Amino acid sequence: MKNQEWKENKKNKVRSGPEEGRDNRNEITRRTFLRRSLLAGAAAGAAANGLFPFIQTIDVAFGAEAFSFAWISDSHLYPKTLNTRFVEKVERAVNDVKAMKPAPDFLIYGGDLAQLGDPVELELGAEILKAITVKKYYIPGEHDWYLDMGDKWKKLFGKPNWTFDHKGVRIIGLDTISRGPDYWSAKKMSPQERMGHMATLDGSVAGPWAGVGRDQLDWLGKILSDWPKDKPVIVFSHNPLYEYYPPWNFWVRDWRDVQAVLKPYSKVTNIHGHTHQVLYNEIGKMRSIGMLATSWNWPYPPEGVPALTTPMVRVDPGDPFDGVGWAKLAMTAGDQVNNEYVMWRKDVFAQTQVDSGTGDNTNQILSPRIADR
Amino acid sequence: MKKSTLLHLAAPVASLGLALFIVLGAAPGMAHKAKHTPEQLKAFEEEFMEQVRIGDLLFHGDAATEKKLGTTLSRTGMACAMCHPFAVDNHPYEFPKFQEQINKFSTLRDMINWCIEKPNEGEKLDADSDAMKALEAYIYWANRGSKLDPGRH
Repeated sequence: MKNQEWKENKKNKVRSGPEEGRDNRNEITRRTFLRRSLLAGAAAGAAANGLFPFIQTIDVAFGAEAFSFAWISDSHLYPKTLNTRFVEKVERAVNDVKAMKPAPDFLIYGGDLAQLGDPVELELGAEILKAITVKKYYIPGEHDWYLDMGDKWKKLFGKPNWTFDHKGVRIIGLDTISRGPDYWSAKKMSPQERMGHMATLDGSVAGPWAGVGRDQLDWLGKILSDWPKDKPVIVFSHNPLYEYYPPWNFWVRDWRDVQAVLKPYSKVTNIHGHTHQVLYNEIGKMRSIGMLATSWNWPYPPEGVPALTTPMVRVDPGDPFDGVGWAKLAMTAGDQVNNEYVMWRKDVFAQTQVDSGTGDNTNQILSPRIADR
Repeated sequence: MKKSTLLHLAAPVASLGLALFIVLGAAPGMAHKAKHTPEQLKAFEEEFMEQVRIGDLLFHGDAATEKKLGTTLSRTGMACAMCHPFAVDNHPYEFPKFQEQINKFSTLRDMINWCIEKPNEGEKLDADSDAMKALEAYIYWANRGSKLDPGRH
């Protein structure tokens, strides 16, 4: 996109609330709240090319007390003897969380602590996270699970799904990873082979493994049954709770059933990992915010990026600390959940098409791999 | 020059010509004078897809294929596909171009080697090696149908 066009777009900026009463495009930094940046980015993008619709409604929560919490996920740790790079990155996130003032009320670790489910990797992660002394909650990722089917993870972190109430918000952790269809028994795979297929994002062998499952859907309905429909709910999950890009399992296969359970509740926010990228969507009344990984970022898939997403910048592959990070989230007294991506670089969001991970791929047509079929 | 020397030279030249005639005669497709048979087309495709398959395995960090080809594409545990599932964002159709990281006019093979050496901390490939050609085959195949746009950054 030409510079001239972007200058003109700045003039067309939509001002839809008191916070947008000034030119905040210039303030988009890593410290910018998602709400503000979505509005600014969406306005400029939509005016320029119709890609991003205007966001009219961002507020999610009513009646909650103000509090903050932190999210770290997708650290994909190898044993230290093989790879220290991922260790350094999760340690940096942990140090950042420790430095938060005031301290967050709690930390969510959103899955994929390990790369290949190795007990050594999981123990390394648990040891690193010990430095965070606020209350910690864990949900599993597929990389944590399919070597020993969750044995070690459960010993270290407990139940993979849970719920609690915090300052007027019902908070739920879902297990979206443990109900993969059995692709290993008939082929007599070793645990390592089973894990290897699960760990290959663009592999075809593990199939549509991500799901919530009927039993957990029933549990979800039950734990929400006494919760007022207009009070805030935050659902943490490893995978997105909608259909984003199934070939990479950027979804749960029973997302429609999940939405059916959540539909009566008007203030639901889903915070998820797994996609390693800036992501935002709204499904019905549910807002969905995708978190960064600490390990490495994934490019956007060739199709299906939600129109409401303001894409993140293209990442420098020569800088291991680029395009990754963690998040500060806050339930504010002003009745909204704010998300702040902490990416360890100045600009998180793409300001022009050429700098984005989506708009840059207009010539790209891709095919699934073949060697694992 | 003696006559016998001339004859001495002529013999291998004639032999070479005969050899070429035999090769071309045995493979009429190479001369583009006869129609390709379905068997030939199938053989060409199989040859190509075998390279794609090998490239796919290398791209996904398959240890057995690496060992067979004597390569060390990574020392971090990372494989190409971990950042480029379905070879996304490889943009093979944009090469050759000025590549910022390398700071010079670069080919896809230069970029493959940059990724092997920098993020993956592996050993760069000879530009004409079997492993490089296989990786190139897979990346182009996975991006087939994309519009050529050389020089685009």
